[in-house]
Amino acid sequence: MSDPTLVVEDLSVDLAGSEIISEVSLTAGAGDLVGLVGPNGAGKTTLLRAMQGSIEPTGGRVRVDGHAVGDLSARETGRLVATVPQETRLSFSFSVEDAVAMGRNPHIGRFGTADADDRRAVREALEHTDLTALADRPVTKLSGGERQRVLLGRAFAQETPLLLLDEPTANLDINHAINTLDLVRSVVDEGRAAVAAIHDLNLAARYCDQLVLLAEGSVLEAGAPEAVLTSGTLEAAFDARTVVATDPTTDSPRVTALSEEEWAEGERAEEERADER
Amino acid sequence: MDVRQRAVGWSLWLAAILGVAITVSAGIGPVSIHPLAVLQVLLNAVAVPTGIELTGSSAGGVLQLPAPSIQWQSPFAYPVDATHRTIVMRVRLPRILLAAGVGFALAAAGTVMQGFFRNPMADPSIIGVSSGAAAGAVAFLVVPIAIPFGLGLQGAAFAGALLSAFAVYAIATEGGRTPVATLLLAGVAIQAFLGAVIAFLQLKSGDGLRQVVHWLMGHLGNAGWDDVTVTLLVVPLLFGILLAYARDLNVLLLGEEAAHGLGVEVERTKRILLAVSAVLTAAAVAVSGVIGFVGLIVPHMVRLVAGPDHRVLLPAAALAGASFLVVTDTIARAGATEIPVGIVTAALGAPFFLYLLRSREVHEL
Repeated sequence: MSDPTLVVEDLSVDLAGSEIISEVSLTAGAGDLVGLVGPNGAGKTTLLRAMQGSIEPTGGRVRVDGHAVGDLSARETGRLVATVPQETRLSFSFSVEDAVAMGRNPHIGRFGTADADDRRAVREALEHTDLTALADRPVTKLSGGERQRVLLGRAFAQETPLLLLDEPTANLDINHAINTLDLVRSVVDEGRAAVAAIHDLNLAARYCDQLVLLAEGSVLEAGAPEAVLTSGTLEAAFDARTVVATDPTTDSPRVTALSEEEWAEGERAEEERADER
Repeated sequence: MDVRQRAVGWSLWLAAILGVAITVSAGIGPVSIHPLAVLQVLLNAVAVPTGIELTGSSAGGVLQLPAPSIQWQSPFAYPVDATHRTIVMRVRLPRILLAAGVGFALAAAGTVMQGFFRNPMADPSIIGVSSGAAAGAVAFLVVPIAIPFGLGLQGAAFAGALLSAFAVYAIATEGGRTPVATLLLAGVAIQAFLGAVIAFLQLKSGDGLRQVVHWLMGHLGNAGWDDVTVTLLVVPLLFGILLAYARDLNVLLLGEEAAHGLGVEVERTKRILLAVSAVLTAAAVAVSGVIGFVGLIVPHMVRLVAGPDHRVLLPAAALAGASFLVVTDTIARAGATEIPVGIVTAALGAPFFLYLLRSREVHEL
C-alpha cells in the first residue's frame, strides 16, 4: 500500500512571532475529501498556505506524493498542488479561457507555449466547470458564482494530485455552494486528494469523507464527520452550545447552534421531563 | 485565436506602422523630401552579405582559426540626390531611430511596471529611475567636478538612474522579500528626495539653467550614430528577457501567493523584472532626458485594444511606443523653433488617451 497523497506531520507555523499552527498532523489519500473546520482564527487558512508551500513551517513537514513540499521549486509544487484561493482576484479583463489556461503555467517551460496536452487539459477543465459557453467572456463580466467556477477550472486544469480549497463556498448562495462542492466531489472521486476549509459545518459534514476540527492552531478532533461533530467537541472548539442531529434527507450530521436562552430553555424542558418521570 | 498568432499579428501591423512613421518622418524638416525618395535612400543603405571569404589558414595549428570576412553589397542602387542622402542618413535617421529605440524601451518598461505593481498609475520612473537619471545629469551639468572613468552626461545619468533604482530596491527589501507596496512607497519617497536635490541644483545652476531645463524636459536632438548603435543593441536584448517572462507577468497579476501556487518563483521573477526594466529605462532616459507619458499612456492605449495578455501586449506596446515617439519627436522638431519632445508627448498623448478612455467601455487596468 503506497503512502497517502498528502501527509502532514507535526506541522508548526509561526507568523510574526506567534504560533498559529502547532503540531498538526493529517493525511488525505486519493479519492479523499478532507474538510478543515473550526472557528475563525483557528488557523485553517494558514495551514492551507503551509501545505501549498507559500509559508515556511517552523517544524514538521508536508509531503505530497512522497515529495517534501519545502524542498521543491515553485514549478514543481505547482504540478503537485493546486489551490483555489478565498479571495477572487480576477480583475484584468482576461477571457475565461485565458484565466483557466493559467493553470497550465507550471507545466509549460519558459520559452514554450501550450501544447496539445495543455489545450486538452484546459478544454476539459472548461467542460467540467460548465464554462465552455463563456470561454471568450472577460472574467470581469462574470457573476460571483461564475468567477468561482473559473478559479475551480484553473485549479482543475493544473491536473495535480492534490487540491486545496480555502472556503470555496464562502460568498456563494446555497445553490452555487452545492454546485461547487458537487464539482469538487466529482474531481476527487476521479482520484485526487483534496483538503477544503469549509465554514458551514453542515455542508462540510455532507461532502467530506473526513473532518479535521482545528481550534487555536491544533487538531481538536479528526475522523468521520459523525465522530468529529459532537456537542462536546463543538463546545470546546467554538465555545457554542449546539445540538447535533442526523439530517433525514442527506443522512449526514446536522449541527444547530443555540443561543444561551434557547439552551437554557432546552435544559429546563429536560429537567421538567425528568421531574415528571 | 492562438496567442502566438495574435502576438505576431499585432507585432507585424505595428512594425509596419513604425516603418511608415520612420519613412515619413525622415522626409519632414527644413528640407522636405518625398517619402518615396526617402525610401530609395533607405533601401540603398540596405546591405546583404554576398559571400564569406576565409582569410588565414588552419594549417598553422589547431587553434589558429580562419578569420571570416563578410562581404556586403546592397541589392538596390536607386539614383538618389546626394544632399537628400546626407540629410536622411546623417542628420535625420539617427535621431528618428533613437526616438524609436527610446519609445520602445519606455513603453516596454511601462507595461512591465503596470503589471508588476498591478497599478494603472505605474510607469517606468516609479522605482526612481528617471529621478535618479535627472539628478545624475543635472549634477553633471551644474557641479564643476570631474567625473571619473570618462563618464559624460549620459554616463552620469545612467549611473544616477541605476543607483537610485538600486537604493529603492534595497530599502524595500527585507529578509529576501520585496513587498510591492513597500517598493512603491520607497520609490515615491526617493523620487521626492531627488526632486529636492534637482530643484536645489537648479537654483545653483546659474548660467547652466537653460541646459538643465532642456535636459529635464526630454530631448532627442544632437543624436549621432554612436548613441543609436548602443541603444539599438541594448534595448532589444533587454526586451527579449522581459518577453521571456511575459507569461509569468500574466500570472503575477493574480497576486503573488496565487502566482507561487501556479509555479512562478515570485521573488526571483520580481528581481529580474525590476532589474531589467530599470536598466531598460535607464538606457532610454540617459540618452533622451525625462520623456513623460510614453511609458504611462502607451501601454494603456495598447491594452485597451489588444487586451491584457502580456505575451501580446508587451511587443505591441513596445512597437506602439516606438511609433508614438517617432511621431511626437517629428512634431517637436518640425516647427520653426524646436520644442522639447516631452512637451509634445504630454500635450498629444493625454487628450488621445482620454478620448480612448471615454470611447471604450473600460474602467480598469
